[in-house]
Amino acid sequence: MSKELNLWLDDLLKDIKIIQFKRKNSRRVRIDIAPEALPALLELLQGRASYVHLSAISCVDWIEENEFELVYHVWSYETNSLVSAHTRISREPGVYLSVYDLYTPAAFFERDIHEMFGVYFEGSPDMEKFILTEWNGPPPMRKDFDSEAFVNQTFNWEEYHPQWLKDIEAEGGGITTRPEDVR
Amino acid sequence: MNELDKIPVRQEISVAQGSVKRSNPLANVFDELVRFCQSRSMFMLHYCTGCGAIELPPAMTSRFDMERLGIQPMVTPRQADILLITGYVSVKTLKRIILTYEQMPAPKYVIGICSCTVNGGMYWQSYATAKVLKEYLPVDIYIAGCMPRPEAVISGLRDLMGDIKSGSASNWKRYFQNYDHYLGNQQKLFDEDWQTPTDIIAEAEHYGLITDQTLGEHTALLQKHQQPLEALEFSLGEKREKIRGENQ
Repeated sequence: MSKELNLWLDDLLKDIKIIQFKRKNSRRVRIDIAPEALPALLELLQGRASYVHLSAISCVDWIEENEFELVYHVWSYETNSLVSAHTRISREPGVYLSVYDLYTPAAFFERDIHEMFGVYFEGSPDMEKFILTEWNGPPPMRKDFDSEAFVNQTFNWEEYHPQWLKDIEAEGGGITTRPEDVR
Repeated sequence: MNELDKIPVRQEISVAQGSVKRSNPLANVFDELVRFCQSRSMFMLHYCTGCGAIELPPAMTSRFDMERLGIQPMVTPRQADILLITGYVSVKTLKRIILTYEQMPAPKYVIGICSCTVNGGMYWQSYATAKVLKEYLPVDIYIAGCMPRPEAVISGLRDLMGDIKSGSASNWKRYFQNYDHYLGNQQKLFDEDWQTPTDIIAEAEHYGLITDQTLGEHTALLQKHQQPLEALEFSLGEKREKIRGENQ
């Protein structure tokens, strides 16, 4: 039964002109869709095809194209398949619509993405700080945030070859295998 | 009493008595006995920060059995001697570690397990991880490895026991003696208005460990941003009424 449902859904989705449809295997579908149409697609999937479970919203920063890619993963318990709806929004100003009215758990994912990437979701119930409550810098998962430079600027480092190690080496001990030897 | 003078007395600082060496040789013997007993009865705070914690259950339980050395887990910082930092320390966790450490009664010992506590380990590039633990707390022993086996953990704990027995495990005093330095590092990472509920300066006074490094510019900031403690409002009734009002 579930296989037939999947086939029907495939036919249906292939008929919609504005989306790119690609079935990856019997349980996974990838859809590329314009940002204006995404809430409508999710509503259709949830209401008409029993995709009731929003597993995750993920975000990718495509800095060269100046875009954020948002991926909505929705799961159906009827057809046992996952639809990943990909959409791309402009990096500036990075504002998009919340799907909180369709899927309540979206509040959690959207708050997380807002914190990590700085994408603002209009209509999301809470855009406050979430996990990084003690972080005042830029959103750290953006590609233009240089974590290494930040770390070198903020933290000190332990000496790599301290005196006590030199003392041990003078007695014939110390590091037997250096990282360079392994690589 | 001539025989007593021949008893070899160690010159190290007694853990129980601070830096004052007692003139009575019998008292020194007694101190040594106290230190021996201390080293054989250690309570390890059950507070784990990272992945290295996974090596502790086998180290504690029947396979490697730390209890035969007198080391037991303890659930509250007020009753523990050892604080194990078992892995990467995020900035957020570091705050909690400092709060926990300051609550522990002296003498207290800190053990940094895994490479991450030494130099950030595999999280060296991470913006959220504090790198060198000993900048913020005095660490007694590092057990390096990613992650160290239970044998290594036990060997490190045995080293600590040896240090306690000989009286050289006095790193906890450094926190009181150099409080300004440690607080400065903490303030650099957190904020200027960083506060802890434990009054370290008063404790340092109590232990007689105030030096010219205890107070300084950073502790001055501490006093500047200090806010008097206020009782929390008890507002259960109001909340109930609010909920009732919303329901209506």
